[in-house]
Parts: sequence; structure tokens; C-alpha cells
Amino acid sequence: MKKLIVEVCVCTECVMKGAMDIIDSIESLKKLKVQLRFDTQIEVKMCKCLGDAKHGDLSPMVRINNEVLERANSETVMARVIGLVSREQRQMV
Amino acid sequence: MRGIYTPVTKIRRQVFAEVARLAYEGGDYSRIVEIPYKIIPGEVPTYRGSVFEERAIVGERLRLAIGLELYPADNPAPISRGVSESAIAKKVYEPPLVNVIPFACNKCEPNSYKVTDNCRGCLAHPCVSACPVKAISMVDGRSHIDKSKCVRCGRCKEVCPYEAIVHYDRPCAAACGVDAIESDELGRAKINYDKCVSCGMCLVNCPFGAIADKSQIFQLVHAIKEGDEVIACVAPAFVGQFGPLATPDQVREALRELGFAGVVEVALGADIGAVEEAKHYVEKVVSGEEPFLATSCCPAWSVMAKTKFPTIAPYVSDALTPMVATARMVKERHPNAKIVFIGPCAAKKLEASRRTVRSDVDFVITFEELMGMFVAKGIEFGDLESRGGVHDATAAGRGYSVAGGVADAISACVKEMYPDVEMKIDRAEGLKNCAKMLTLAKAGKRNGYLMEGMACPGGCIGGAGTMMPLPKAAAAVKKFQDASTRKIATENPLVQEFEQKNGDK
Repeated sequence: MKKLIVEVCVCTECVMKGAMDIIDSIESLKKLKVQLRFDTQIEVKMCKCLGDAKHGDLSPMVRINNEVLERANSETVMARVIGLVSREQRQMV
Repeated sequence: MRGIYTPVTKIRRQVFAEVARLAYEGGDYSRIVEIPYKIIPGEVPTYRGSVFEERAIVGERLRLAIGLELYPADNPAPISRGVSESAIAKKVYEPPLVNVIPFACNKCEPNSYKVTDNCRGCLAHPCVSACPVKAISMVDGRSHIDKSKCVRCGRCKEVCPYEAIVHYDRPCAAACGVDAIESDELGRAKINYDKCVSCGMCLVNCPFGAIADKSQIFQLVHAIKEGDEVIACVAPAFVGQFGPLATPDQVREALRELGFAGVVEVALGADIGAVEEAKHYVEKVVSGEEPFLATSCCPAWSVMAKTKFPTIAPYVSDALTPMVATARMVKERHPNAKIVFIGPCAAKKLEASRRTVRSDVDFVITFEELMGMFVAKGIEFGDLESRGGVHDATAAGRGYSVAGGVADAISACVKEMYPDVEMKIDRAEGLKNCAKMLTLAKAGKRNGYLMEGMACPGGCIGGAGTMMPLPKAAAAVKKFQDASTRKIATENPLVQEFEQKNGDK
């Protein structure tokens, strides 16, 4: 099974701005495996700091497949993760 | 909605961070008027009808975060009024601490039943037959509730096969366990301060972010900046609140980095209280002298118990709350120090404003407010080196932060000190449930009991000033409890010392 690694920055400002809630929402996708037809395993990694130190206004930051999402929230991250997973699914068919 | 990060959470936290930043930077505080533009940038409204409204509301939140009064919307005054005068190293705010920002309130309809689009106007329309007061009729092929007749019994909702009838209440009123939410003449929420115990549940449950409480971060930062010896007393619920990099040791280092002269676990005070309440229970309740004992640690619960149930008031424990016990112990050793209680709790702010507690606790801030300070000061938990752990308290004291933990701690003490005594325990979380428990007690059905009351669902880790969702916080507390070398409150050497000193009382 393929694996998608989602890295979430957990620096102080990112945590204040909801990084832990983003992690929860990614984790919650695992329970929708059937509905969303995942063929990819999602792994969430917490990082000390993505991007430059003190990325302030860009918080929260999330990296998915080397693509960095700035000012991320549950909505954007979940959409991105699902998008990637379903594309991979299409390629397989 | 609790436990989900929403734009309301975001703005609330940004306000704390900006107020802390303002205080750290110092200088001319009239520039506070610029902060609403920073938090609400651009010209297009994101949350409400207009950016001007959004900024005005942020302005009010800023004033409350500085500890100032709201200014009435019909009164000409800039948000900066009184800010410079509040840049002092001592308490500024006065009750009422929890405030509705009137023009941010959406005037939600109080407690009512409503027919939604799900109604198919079915032939059976059981809603009509079920209604005891003939409030429901079929109008234009759909069920219609006559609000003037409706007694809000909910029977129509129960019988509808399409789930077409919904019940809703104002989220603030639904969250309030003491029925303190009323309406002003414009239909906006208004708090009845004779009933309010300042638990803060309304402010975290309002989906429009229309309720906020006053804060002391502005004054606290000034106290630290002026070089005062400021000692942080951290409530047991702190574990896990600041993210995965913030271990308990790291939090202590971060507080030192902020300029705190010392960091003490309030769980130590909890240990003291547990021993005292265990003794009280056995000496007074088991002996039959008093009917029951209600715990004292949660200020919202104990104030509610005393005001709503005056006949029960004498049986609410008079043991010092963990906050006060810890503060007094620290002040004994550091008589010139300023004590800051850092906790999850809005009601502690009110407790610390009490005449008898004022001299013990100088400031009370919440975890969320503290996080604002960490962000403003640019403190990264991952960069801090730990210099040894926090070792003030036992597993029992640390458990005070989770519902059931207080009763557990006390019963462990009873078991240890009086092995023959069999305890009866009841507990409730959420003020509504607490009131139910006290009603039973009043009716004589809880005689011989120890009653633990927690105003916030889940206990302190569910408090208004917390950062983490309940399950995560509970797991973190459990882990920290397991790391304690001492398990029961009686094993704490500091408690033994306290007992010797105050033993004759």
C-alpha cells in the first residue's frame, strides 16, 4: 500500500492557530477509508518547524508531498489530502 | 463546537497574542487602534456584514483583553481610552468579568421548536395529534407551530417521522448551567450577574464570538517587565495544552524564558486540599455531625452551590482551593513575590477577585492567554533545553484536572488514613448536572456522601481557557500522573509540612 506523508508544523504559533485541530482532521479521514475509497495510507508527522523560523503570518503550515500549504486549515488540508489520494486511485485504474 | 478550531477561536487567540505583543513592545499605547486592522485586514468582510463591524468587535475584545470595560456603542469613545492608564503591574479589571459584546450578538431566538424544510406535509401529520395545546396546524401543506401557544414540550419533535421539527436554544443559554442568560430590550443576550458564576461556558459556546471575558495579560507582562518577582502557579490541567513539543518540563522552561522567577504546580495545593477534605469527611460526615461534604476546588461549582442552595452552603468544604493553598505556600517563602495562577478557568478570575483571596493571588490568566504570551515573545518549545522536571505534586493532585479526579484523590487519602471507613461518593460535571445532584442532596438523598462538583463538562481540562480537545488533554494528564513518583496526596512531603504548620487549626 502506498503511503502519503503529511507533515504538520507544531511550532508555538502554528499550535495556537489550530495545528492540532488540523492533525485531528487528517486523522479523522482514516475513518472514512471506505467512503473516500482510499488506497493510500496516510501518515501524519509532527514537525518542529516547517519553513523559516517564526513564519508568523503564514501559520499554520503543512507539507504534503513536498508541497507546502501556508495558512492551512482543516478544510484546505483535508481537500488536498483527499485530492491526492483519489488521483492516485485514478492512475491505478 | 468545543474542541474544533473555528474562526471564533482564531480571533480570540489572535487578540491575546496581539495584546501581549503590545505590552512587550511598550511605547505609545494609542497604537492599539491599529490592531483591529491587523487582525481583520483588507476591505472585504470575512465573517460579518462589514469589515467595520468586524473591526469594531475586535476592538471590544481588545479592551476586554486589557481588562477594560466595554464602551457602549452609542457613546463616542476610541478603543484606546484607558489603555495607557492600564499599563500597570497590578490588577485593573473589575467584575463583571464575562461580558456580552452587544452588537456582536446575533439575537438568537431563545428556546424554541421550529418546523424545517424536511416537513413533507404528510397525511398522518402526527405532530398535530401529539400537540397537547393545539399549537400545530397544517398551513399551506406544511406543519406550522403557533409560537404563542407552544409550551415547548417537544412532543411534536419526537413523533415526526421525517425529523422535520428541530429544537434549538441559544448556544450561550444552553451552555449556561445557572440560567443566567437573559435578553436585553433588543433581544440580545444579556447576563444576569446575580446568577452568573463566571464559568465561561457561554463564551466558548457562542458561535458568533459575542461573549468574552476580561484578561490580565497586559498587566502581567508589565509586572514581569518591571522586574517584579513573579511566580507562576500552574493548574494541573496544563499538561498537553501547548502542543506536542511542550512537555511539562518544557512548559516550565518556557515560563522561565518569559521571565517568571519560579514555577510551581498547583497540584501541590490540590494535595493539601485532598488531605484536608478527607479528614473533614471522616471527622464530620462519617461521624454524622454533618449530612454530607461538597468539594471546594471548583469555584464556579462552589459559588453556585452556595447561592442557589443556601441550606447546603455550610456543607461546602471550607478547605482552601488548590489555587489559594498553593499561593499561600509560595507567598510564605517569597513574601514579595507576585503570584500568577495559570489555569484553564474563567471562574478563577472571579475567585481571585474575592476580598479574602485578593492578597494571595495577584493575577489569573488562562492557558489560551498564556499561549498568546508565548507567541508574542516568540518562544519555541522545541528549542528549549529542559533542566530537570517538575516535582511538586502527586499523581492524585495532578488528577484534579479531570472530572472524577478530586473524588479519587480524596478517597485514596481516606483509604490510606482511615482504612475502615467506607466512603459514599457522588459526582457531577456541568453546572446543570451539579444542580441536580444538589437538589437530591437537599432532599436528604445524599446523606453521608462526598460530592464532587465540576462546572465544566470533563472537568478542568474542559475549561473555557483551554487549548486542547478533551480526549487529548485527558490522555496527557494521565501520562503525567503515571510519571509521578508519589501516588497519594498524603505522601507529599510538602503536604506533611503544611499539615504540621496548620495542624492545630
